[in-house]
Formats: sequence, C-alpha cells, structure tokens
Amino acid sequence: MHLILFIIFAGFCLAGAINLLLQTHPINSALSLIVVMSSLAVLYLLLGAEFLAIAQIIVYAGAVMVLFTFVVMLLNVGEEEKTHGSKAAKIIGFPAIVAAFSVLTTVILAIQNKLGGVKLSDGVTPMTELSTVLFRDMLLPFELTSVLILVAILGAVALARKEGHR
Amino acid sequence: MNTFAVNYGNLFSITIPETILEVVSLLVLVVDLGFLRKSTQPARMTAACVLGVIGSVLAGLWLLTHSGTASFAGDALVLNSLVAAAQIGILLLTALVLLLSFQAEFSRNPGEYVAIVLLATTGMMLVAAARDLLVIFVALELLSLSLYVLAAFAKSSALSSEAALKYYLFGGMSAALMLFGFSYLYGLTGTTNLNGIAVSLASQGLSPLVVVAMVLVAAGLGFKVAAVPFHLWAPDTYQGAPAPVAALIASGSKVASFAVLVAVTGSLIPAASASRGATWIVLLVWMAGASILLGNLAALAQTSVRRLLAYSAIAHAGYMLLGIAANTPQSGAAVFYYALTYALTTVGAFGVIAVVERNMGSDRFDAFAGLSRRNPLLAASMLIFLLSLAGIPPLVGFWAKFNLFAAVLRAPGVGAWGLGMVIFALAASAVSLYYYLQVLKRVYVVPAMTDEPMAVSALEQLVLLVIALLVALLGIFPSALSGWIPLG
Repeated sequence: MHLILFIIFAGFCLAGAINLLLQTHPINSALSLIVVMSSLAVLYLLLGAEFLAIAQIIVYAGAVMVLFTFVVMLLNVGEEEKTHGSKAAKIIGFPAIVAAFSVLTTVILAIQNKLGGVKLSDGVTPMTELSTVLFRDMLLPFELTSVLILVAILGAVALARKEGHR
Repeated sequence: MNTFAVNYGNLFSITIPETILEVVSLLVLVVDLGFLRKSTQPARMTAACVLGVIGSVLAGLWLLTHSGTASFAGDALVLNSLVAAAQIGILLLTALVLLLSFQAEFSRNPGEYVAIVLLATTGMMLVAAARDLLVIFVALELLSLSLYVLAAFAKSSALSSEAALKYYLFGGMSAALMLFGFSYLYGLTGTTNLNGIAVSLASQGLSPLVVVAMVLVAAGLGFKVAAVPFHLWAPDTYQGAPAPVAALIASGSKVASFAVLVAVTGSLIPAASASRGATWIVLLVWMAGASILLGNLAALAQTSVRRLLAYSAIAHAGYMLLGIAANTPQSGAAVFYYALTYALTTVGAFGVIAVVERNMGSDRFDAFAGLSRRNPLLAASMLIFLLSLAGIPPLVGFWAKFNLFAAVLRAPGVGAWGLGMVIFALAASAVSLYYYLQVLKRVYVVPAMTDEPMAVSALEQLVLLVIALLVALLGIFPSALSGWIPLG
C-alpha cells in the first residue's frame, strides 16, 4: 500500500516539477508548483511526519503559493520568451545528471541491506514535545533562522525599491 | 537528539558578541530610517558606517577581554582561543570594510547596507564557532544570503546584478548539495554533532554512502572557499560586486569558511584510523592541486585587477586546502594564520582598487598606470599588499606561506606525495609573482595618461596606510600573532 501511494505521488511530484519548467505562462508554473508541494506533503505523511506534512500544506501549498499567484497576477506578467539555453549545458549537463543519479542509486541499492529502518513518529506527537525540541534543544538554529528571514526581508526591500533621483 | 544547549545562560554568554552585532544592526536601521530620512546621502552613509564600526569594535573588545579558556554552549558552539582569534579577525575585517565604505556611492540605502553587513558578520562568527551540522548550515546560509543581497546592491550597475545572480545560483545549488550530504551524514551516524559524527564514523567501516556524503559536503564547502571545480562564480562576482562587498566576500567570508572546513575535516577524519579518512584527504588534495594550478595559470591571462585577484584567491584557497588536508593541530593553526593575514591584505588591495575605480571608472591595468606619480602613498600601499600576496619576505604573506608549508611537511605520514604537492605549490607561487608584478609594473613603470593627483579621502588614505603598516609589521615581527594563534 505504502509503495503504491509512494509511486503515485512521487510520479505526481516529478510530473509537476517538469511541467513547471516547461510551461511558458507564470500562472501555469505556479499552479504546477502547488502540485509539487502537495505531493511532497503526502510523501512526508507516508514517512510518518504528520506535523511536517500539515505545515507543508498550510505554509507552502497554502500561504506561499497564494502570495506567488497574487504577485504574478498583480505584476500582470505575460508569456515567457523561451531561450534555448546553452549547447554545452545540454550536451554535458544531461549526461552528467544521469551519471550522478546513477551513482547515487547504485550506492543506495548496494548497501540497502545494511541500512536500518527508522520510525519517524510513534503515533501522535504531542505539541509539548515539538515545542521542547524547537525552543529548548534547537533554540540556537531556531533563532538564527529568524535572523536569516530578517536578512531576506531587508534584502528584498532594499533591492526591489525604486531608486529615483531626488 | 538532546545534544543542544539547555543551559540558556551559557548560550547567552557565548553569543554576546553576536548579540551586540544584531542589536547594533537594528539600531542602524532605526537611526537611518527613523531619524535621518531627510539628511543627505553622505551623511546617512557616514552615520550608518560609524555605528557599524562601533558595533564591531564593541563586539571585538568583549571577545578580547572574555576569551580565556574554551567554553561550550551544549555541543553546538565552541569558543576556544583559535575560534576567538578567527572571530576577532572577522570583526576587524568588517570594521575595515565599513571604514572603506564611507565614500561608496553605489547605494541609496545606507541603513540596509550596513545592517546586512553586520548580519553577515554575525553569520561568519557563528560559522567559525559552530560544531553542529544544523548550526553550520543555518549560519552558512545567513552568511551566503547576506552576501548575495550585498553583491546586488549597486542597482544601477548591470555587472553587479550579473555578479549577484551568478553567485546566488551557484550558491543555492551548492547549498542544496551540501544539505543533501549532511542528511546522509546524519542518517549514517544518527547525530548532527561533529564530535559524535567522528566517533560514529570511526566505529563503522567506510561505506560507499560515506564517500557520497563526503563528496557532497566537499562541493558545498568548496563553493564557499572558491576551490576548483566550484570556483566559477568567483571571477564574475569579484568583478561585478561593489568594491567593499567584494572585499567582504574575499576576506571575512573566506576566514569563516576555512574555519568551518578545519572543524569538519577534524570530524570526517577520525583520529584513530588514518586510512578511513583518506577519502576526505584525497578530495581535499585534488581540490587543492586543481585550484593552485588553474588559479595561477588563469590569473596570468587577466587584464582586470579584480579578476586577477579572484583567480589569485582561488590559488590561495588551494594552498590553504593543502594545510587543511595535513590535518594536524599545527597545520590547522597555520591555516587560520594564513586566512586571517591573506584576508587583511585583500581588504587593503580592494581598498586601493575602489579608489582607482572612482577616479578612472575602470579596474583594468591601464587605470593603474603611473599611480606612483599620481599618489605615491597609495602606490606604496598597493606594492606592500601585492608583494605580501606573492609571499615576499619580510611581509606577512611570506610567514603565512612558510608556516603553512612547514606545517604540512611536519605532519605525520606526509610522504613523497605531500612533499611533491608542497614543491608544486612553491613553484606555482613563484609563477604568481609574475602577475602581481604585472600590476606593479603599471603602478611604478608605465607613465600616467594624466598627471592630476588621484583624489582620495583622508580617511581612506589613513585606513589603507594602517593596513599596509600592519601587513609590514606583522611580517617583521612574525611572533606578534603567536599569542593568539599557537603555531607550535
């Protein structure tokens, strides 16, 4: 059952990602991104990470994508012009990617038997446990992330603001 | 999982310098956007930079007075004498970059500029101190994201946008690869702590998955230090980014990245079994050899001084990677010494480039022609910087190279390969003298197109002279830094 669900949603995820790249209209790309995000949420669920799955749906597929589509519509972005990319990227890039993934797959398959299994969550994870991890054990990375977001906001505002002559 | 600090007091006391920087960066924003909105552009820049310098100096003073013994916040952060030296060096470099930014006219947002520089410095300090994969990653991202934004700050310059976009795309890709590698390391060892990883890796054999993880981590960290083959962003970013930002990318960011590379190397090469760590060492040595070769050869063909410095930075990264691959406490300290003194010299060189660019509108070789007659002090500073980068005694660059190569040769089990690499590196640094002298030939020999003096503000002149003096004095008294960095 798990395997079937995994194959279906991994397929959705890949198809969405490829469609995202192939579409020329930004809105279509944004909608494909929603497919990718939602399928990822199902994959998290299959791994037993319920909280992550819900957060993925609410934050990414919900809030972030709404903002995305808003921006695309507000800016009234038209069709993209297709460029053909560099020849070298096509000739070297695709075989290199295939080779890299083949190596990864071979390595994983080769040591498959030696890898142990991990149960990501036992039943329901209570909120207190999550908070303990987030605000006590992981306090430093958590606070650092908030500084990271501050930099992102500052940078976005500073770079997007029009520089008129005063 | 419970490996992190539960002791809030300890965590707070260790991160006070970073906290100072955060508070000051918010203060800069409040002062600039709240009180100085109506002021002129230079006044706003001056106020923001002065506040930034004060913040860095305060944080540095706190570190100087409080870094006695090693202390830990859980297992995530460590503050020993080497880390403190790196952090003080990073703060000094940031202060110098801000002092050289007073005259910069690339941005109409001085508050944001200084605030992001300070936040990037926080990232650098945490990167240098971090001993946990999660903290290393978040701190590296804090540093990288700030630098991407800063590289794009000259909005009227197409080169600046190109530099930022290339830096960002390469950076995003290599961060993803590194995170992938980290996830394998976590999956294989069950911990994100570097010490825990070392213990766990020592107890299990070398599985192919460990090798994959090492390659991915090497890709991520290799990008940060601009080592071949992850160097492609460096020439364009050095050329396009505003001069003070390029100086920051070339100095503080490099010091932090080499510090974390030393720490990661310690955990990927378990002390008990030299043979198992061999993979990581082989990776480092290959990257080092390729960087030294390509960096020095490509620098020969450059006609832009910034691109020349970028390729020479790649070569210098190669020398330092050799030191890291030797993996002894002495070679680690020698790498710190090299990174700090190299960064100091580079900030000075970019300061001179900024002045020349403002006057001539270009950083090509021709722009430097006759600098010695147009501004002798500036020319003398450039002479000291470039000769130190080439490793000419008695400047500090010579001692950095000497200590580094001596430490590599003294490492146990170096053998013929290590000796060969050191000889190769020495030969390559002889080649490097050629392209540094190409610049100095323009400065001292080629006649100037105009005889009008090069306009430079008193502050810039003073800062550049102080850096030049430091480079010379540290070379003449090489033991001056040994209280900080125990070279053994």
